[in-house]
Amino acid sequence: MNEQLNHAPCGFVTLSKEGILLSINQTLVQLLGYSPDQLVGHHINVILTKSARLFTQLYFFPLVTVQHRIEEMYLSFANVNGEEIPVLINATLSQDTDIQVITCVVIPMQRRNEYENQLIISKKLAEDALKETSKANSKLEKALKDLKENQQKLLEVNKQNEKFKRDTHNELKLAKKIQERSLPETISDDHIEIESYYFASRELSGDIYGCYQINKHRYGIILLDVMGHGISSALITMSLQSLFQRLITKGAGAATNVVIKELDDHLHTLFHNNQDSWHYCTAIYLIIDTDKQTIEYTNSGHPPAIFQNSAGNQLELRATSPPIGTFEGIQFKIETFNYDKGSKILLYTDGVSEPLGFHRLGSLLKEHSSDSLIGLKEKILQSLQNEGEEKFKNDDQCFILIDLK
Amino acid sequence: MNPNILNRNNVNIKGNGEQTMIFAPGFGCDQTVWKSVSESFESDNQIILFDYVGMGNSDVKAFDPNKYSKLSGYVQDVIDVCSALNLKNAIFVGHSVSGMIGLLASLQHPEYFSRLILIGPSPCYLNDLPEYFGGFEKEDLIGLIDMMDKNYIGWATFFASTVTNNPGRPDVANELENRFCSTDPVIARKFAEACFFADNREDLPNVTVPSLIMQCSEDVIAPTVVGEYLSQHVPKSTITYMKATGHCPHMSHPDETIQLIRDYLGEFPSEVVLSLAYE
Repeated sequence: MNEQLNHAPCGFVTLSKEGILLSINQTLVQLLGYSPDQLVGHHINVILTKSARLFTQLYFFPLVTVQHRIEEMYLSFANVNGEEIPVLINATLSQDTDIQVITCVVIPMQRRNEYENQLIISKKLAEDALKETSKANSKLEKALKDLKENQQKLLEVNKQNEKFKRDTHNELKLAKKIQERSLPETISDDHIEIESYYFASRELSGDIYGCYQINKHRYGIILLDVMGHGISSALITMSLQSLFQRLITKGAGAATNVVIKELDDHLHTLFHNNQDSWHYCTAIYLIIDTDKQTIEYTNSGHPPAIFQNSAGNQLELRATSPPIGTFEGIQFKIETFNYDKGSKILLYTDGVSEPLGFHRLGSLLKEHSSDSLIGLKEKILQSLQNEGEEKFKNDDQCFILIDLK
Repeated sequence: MNPNILNRNNVNIKGNGEQTMIFAPGFGCDQTVWKSVSESFESDNQIILFDYVGMGNSDVKAFDPNKYSKLSGYVQDVIDVCSALNLKNAIFVGHSVSGMIGLLASLQHPEYFSRLILIGPSPCYLNDLPEYFGGFEKEDLIGLIDMMDKNYIGWATFFASTVTNNPGRPDVANELENRFCSTDPVIARKFAEACFFADNREDLPNVTVPSLIMQCSEDVIAPTVVGEYLSQHVPKSTITYMKATGHCPHMSHPDETIQLIRDYLGEFPSEVVLSLAYE
């Protein structure tokens, strides 16, 4: 080996195709801490770390065999003490088929290697961060997908709800029709004329009334208001109605307190073991005898009906007992008084008295006592329309006007 | 034939003859490594060459990091190629880790293969002392993977092919165009992890296809003791010791490699092989 190459500022090595060291320059021998005799004739594995031995078998020899040259391959050499020396290696395989020699230039790169190590660490950190980001991203995407699915489900449920609501609405409309059909016809003859108004705040009402001619001279008029409104209250009114209709018409005019007592018993039976569905009910029941010109009544917790005689004096038919369905064993009393022709009676539920006020009802009756019953009814409705406060509009409204001729 | 598989694995079919030989490249390289050896069998055999997904000119888009994080992913590539070509009783020649891949493929589909020729195989590279000496400690293999990272295999060779356009050396440019040993660094790393940390010692006694183990001299990757371990544990195996040194005798010593394969195939007339394969 010429002197210049022997002491060049880089390692210089020649190898056989099998990897046997044929020559090695002084620079590299010194770097590795061997003497040339210890290396020449041995396999290059002697000066490689174990990882590098693997790598040269996998890459260096195949590449140099096929490509005949290698540029900038990173390898780690091991010195005589087994310490690692990172190097860059360039190699060529001579084309002369007789002497196939691999010529290598080796540049130690301890400092550059440190620098590259740092770069690789940073790269790995960046890749990990990216992985975390994409993991978070895919989680978000999944959440978004779930959200969309849930939204879709909600829309589906909403659609079902809408359909259910529509169906229920139609059902209620039908029920309302049935409830209204069950209301009695108004009565009008030589001795008595009856007008009524009935309005359900929702589809169904908790108010119910009945007017029946019991016999030639006797008339039974009943008005009830079941606590609350809507379906549950309406169902109770229907069950009460079928009962009072039978009691009043078939019972050949049982006394007012007897009828009310039966209704009270019925409510107690209905909710005997079921506190959750408990409802109570106010009721007023009048029997008018046009022959004797007497009025008999029982008022069970109902707002006072207004009686007005032909002279325009008014009397309140106040409650004689608590509402029915409240306490068991209530004694229901009967009140009786006489009337003269030209007297009027106004029965109403709180859905009418609350927006107008009790006194307003009394004065309406007084002011328009000369009007026909229809006219009087119109006046009350007008007042309800004009003066009734909005907050009362959602209560069931019902009133009955009686003209005693 | 499934053209998707043939494209995916860059399958090339050459040669003439009744008998099919399939050549499987070792770690990190593509089918061009077989050039010297496979050409000598072309006159009397049908030759199948292919690249594993992620290597050579295979379809890199088909690389699934999960599938190819284990040897089973590469085993599936071999099975896919055999199935796409409807191979029966093929002679499988596998270098290095491909020897193990072929062996594992034969466990699933023995009917595809009549003989396995394993060049420098190893069932396990890690030492498991005192029972087993594979040649390496874990740190050595991690060091190898670090060294691959620092050599950025892949873009470095691609880069080289564009800049070392040396008109005086057309052969260099040519080989580089074939993307020899060029692999995406991420893929190469996955393959390295799948290969070098695998342990298939338990599968060896189940092999039914007759095999030849070609053991190189002074092979640091698959030392002689590993070849002997294989020959003792694989039924119907024969071991032959090569004069060739190193780990790639098919490249460094093609003549010896060819001769030993021919010697082995000559020992097994095809009728005998068939009866053995269906035992």
